[in-house]
Amino acid sequence: MSPRTRPIPIITDDALTITGGSFSYGDTPALTDVTISVKPGEAMALIGPNGSGKSTLLKGVLGLIPLVEGSMGLGTTAGIGYLPQTEHIDPEFPVTLKQVVMMGRYRKLGLFRFPGSADRAAVREAIASVGLGNVANKRFGSLSGGQQQRGFLARALAAQPSLLLLDEPFNGLDQPNRDALMQTLRQLKAAGVAIIVTTHDLELAREVCDTVLFVNGRQIAFGPKDEVLTLANLQEVFHEFQVEIDEHTVVVPGHEGH
Amino acid sequence: MNLLDSFTTAFALPFMGRALLVLIVLSIAAGLIGVFINLRGLEFLTDGLTHAVFPGLAAGFVFGGQGGVLIGALVAAAAATIVLTLMSNNKVTSDATTAIVLTAMFSIGVIIVSASPGRAGGLEQLLFGHLLTVTDSEALITAIVAAIALVLVVLTFRRQVFHAFDPEGSAAAGYRRVSTELVLNVAIALVIVAASNAVGNLLVLAVLIVPGALSRLVTTKLGALFVVAVGSALLASWIGLSLGFNISVVGGVDVPAGATVALSFVLLYSIALIVRVARKGLNA
Repeated sequence: MSPRTRPIPIITDDALTITGGSFSYGDTPALTDVTISVKPGEAMALIGPNGSGKSTLLKGVLGLIPLVEGSMGLGTTAGIGYLPQTEHIDPEFPVTLKQVVMMGRYRKLGLFRFPGSADRAAVREAIASVGLGNVANKRFGSLSGGQQQRGFLARALAAQPSLLLLDEPFNGLDQPNRDALMQTLRQLKAAGVAIIVTTHDLELAREVCDTVLFVNGRQIAFGPKDEVLTLANLQEVFHEFQVEIDEHTVVVPGHEGH
Repeated sequence: MNLLDSFTTAFALPFMGRALLVLIVLSIAAGLIGVFINLRGLEFLTDGLTHAVFPGLAAGFVFGGQGGVLIGALVAAAAATIVLTLMSNNKVTSDATTAIVLTAMFSIGVIIVSASPGRAGGLEQLLFGHLLTVTDSEALITAIVAAIALVLVVLTFRRQVFHAFDPEGSAAAGYRRVSTELVLNVAIALVIVAASNAVGNLLVLAVLIVPGALSRLVTTKLGALFVVAVGSALLASWIGLSLGFNISVVGGVDVPAGATVALSFVLLYSIALIVRVARKGLNA
């Protein structure tokens, strides 16, 4: 195998299925009634207001928050990549971008193995795929916010995951960074990676996602984007919501209080 | 014997050889671990652990003599490490509670030693160590304890780096937070136990904290941090031990060598700080 080819995940089953799932912190259920499936090469947009359980679902899939009801199945064993919403890092921490991305390989390396050519190639490829090849040896803390965000995405990609979870990846990104990320997501889908992305951005949902899951403490709707991305569902999820669509800002009034 | 001999031929003397062996193993372990203490900002927790170990040292000394010190310290270190790790994971700890616990433990230790007839003279030894009079078996046990700490950190090296940089990302990658923190805290506690015997409980902090802090002044490269920390710890140990030998053996003034070693660590740190400030001044 040449070092530049990415192993294609085996496409035999859904990357993720949850049936009647509830996730909870302690005694309070944070998200209930989740029934979804995400297939390899498919992207699902996860949409809901703040505190509606979007991050909960991602952390539940990672096993950081327990599933208290229902069942959850992960399709392949190739692993899950995760891009958290905000990373609180010490800007003076003495690591380069390349070293941060190598952290994505640590689990594969285990206790005793040193990084080999395959690991270095995966790191190089991940950095190139997010367009940061020219700053690979810079100190991570010296990069801009958008570059750090892409750096963390590269770390998730270096593990060559079959399922990628992205929490608000477009927040605070300028247009070039945004376009670069869109492009990366399309390439990943083409390579068979399943993606779940939380977002406020309906245009993103339309452009790169295949399915949409609306949540607000529980599952409101799930299905193909054309069927689910409806005004009725938006009103159910958001009481009042500003939508940017086709360069117009539309205020969607909710059904409560009107 | 002149000053130069103190830095060279003096190490042919058996007690100097033993002291050097102890300090070499300690420097390697404390240098590596000290970098993580610095990166994680665990200086205060380390201070808390050194104080918490003190009553163990004292009780071991009173009930078991010199040989009991290590056992007492290990028991106290194990208890303190587990309590502090669990407290920090359940977010009940704060600087105030750590400060209260550590002064309480230290007071208990002082009372234990002082209240024991005929053992009161041991207090100085527990606080400042007895580097120049360690026995063969003490040197060996100290080296073994420090080596265990070293192995723990080397085996978990990558996850320690990952966790220090980004604890949430490390947890999401599947590394359990509690176990990563527990392993580092146990390693810190083991170095405290080993170093308490040699340089004394009060001076342990210099060995554990100065090399990591010094390396941050000198370099911003991850790999180099560990090399600089261990190198500076070895250099400070050599200088401090030679000075201690010169003052107490050649000069005849009874000064614990642990103090000259600790001072040498601080001296090297000061030099690094001055050089850095001067270079920044020139670049500005």
